[in-house]
Amino acid sequence: MDTDVFRVYEEEIQSLEEEINLLAEQYEDSQQESTIFSDEEILKSIKSFQRGFQGDSIGCESLSNLKAQLESLERDLSFLVKFTGVQFTSHSKKTVEKTRERTVQKHRLTGNFHSLSFHLEFQLLEMQNKESVSAVITDLSITLESEENSDVSKFVSSTEERGDLLTFFRSLSSYAEWHVHRRRTFQHFK
Amino acid sequence: GVFAHLEMLEAQAHKEAVKKEETDQQEEKLARLKARVEELKLQRDKLRTKVDLQQGQLEKGRVVLDPDQTSPQAALEWKIKSVKSMLKIFYLTGISGKLTKQGVCFCISTAYEGTYFDSYYLDLFIKPQVWIHRHSIPPFIPLEQIAKKYLKTDIKRFMAVLSDHLNAYVGRRYQAEQLQEHFSDWIEGALQRNSLCNLLVFNYTVARESKAFPFSVRLLYGDLCCSLPTEVVVSCASDAPASLAEMAAAHSDLFRSTALHKAFRSIQGTGEMGN
Repeated sequence: MDTDVFRVYEEEIQSLEEEINLLAEQYEDSQQESTIFSDEEILKSIKSFQRGFQGDSIGCESLSNLKAQLESLERDLSFLVKFTGVQFTSHSKKTVEKTRERTVQKHRLTGNFHSLSFHLEFQLLEMQNKESVSAVITDLSITLESEENSDVSKFVSSTEERGDLLTFFRSLSSYAEWHVHRRRTFQHFK
Repeated sequence: GVFAHLEMLEAQAHKEAVKKEETDQQEEKLARLKARVEELKLQRDKLRTKVDLQQGQLEKGRVVLDPDQTSPQAALEWKIKSVKSMLKIFYLTGISGKLTKQGVCFCISTAYEGTYFDSYYLDLFIKPQVWIHRHSIPPFIPLEQIAKKYLKTDIKRFMAVLSDHLNAYVGRRYQAEQLQEHFSDWIEGALQRNSLCNLLVFNYTVARESKAFPFSVRLLYGDLCCSLPTEVVVSCASDAPASLAEMAAAHSDLFRSTALHKAFRSIQGTGEMGN
């Protein structure tokens, strides 16, 4: 029997598996994004279990694990926010492509650096080869609060052109200092 | 005789039995593969319908769930996913990490323009003072010097300076690799560089009046936080025409101000690259 026949089926199986992974991830992304629990609702959930969960003991234990996991993750996040000064207020992603070697996602990210807010949109391509994972940013769009300054607009557009998201974040602190100083000066003269 | 004939028949029968078993196995495998394809197709179609349905609902507007209708478990799981995804995206800012029992484990991400490269880890203990327990910083980065200067007094500054060193190194390495990958036709021999990638020596050919001339370049990156060289020497052979010295000077200026692979691209554009 021809081994080519086997290969055709095996390739079809791989392509179907990749398609299934992509659809599953798209479903997850949309599900996560379309569901919103406010912080009060989350607190209420935690309290409801603390008060004495009506359900079975197994449910109680798993809720307590979830609570511990959430608290640990939130501690990590709040440490990073404090250390870097960068806080993300909203994040949504859409998976466009997903194969064994590459994942392409479209991201929308809003946040602030101290009091300076920004909105980012970009496409992130993550590639996995034998030794390493690398990531490439394309279609970067940056919106910075108060870009009236031409130097800043130039910086923003050249950063966008090169897709240089890392430099944007690393320069945020110097821009923010300038911005705060400028605002203070302006207020002083009001 | 008879025995020989019998043996031959036996061998033949055995051969045919083996062949039949092979054929049966292959048919079995084919049947399995076909069945798997059908199974996956079904799964895929089901998922597609689910996603399409979900899209239809989303287009009508966001759905906010009434907490009385959903379990506390679902709420917590949703929040956990949300925080995890924020943490995951933090690496794009250059610094991410997680708290540990004894301190914090930082992860420094590096990038050159739009591409993110290796991440480097720093496991810090904070008692009695901040110190580095473990790390994955390459040995040619002056980590000890930087730590001595900043770690105990200004940890943010320490991280920023270390990050500058790592990013500049990755940027220099990227430029050298791009040169080797895209301009190997014009590079004579091997490109020599040290592990820190702050010293590059190589030769390339330029064309002038349809003749090829070798240029040799030495690039020194004196500022370890910078991915542009501080010293550039471009030299041609002593018997080369005078106009070539002008070209060498122009190239030298270009290498001082532009990333190496971009500089080569622009030289290529002027038709000065030789064969």
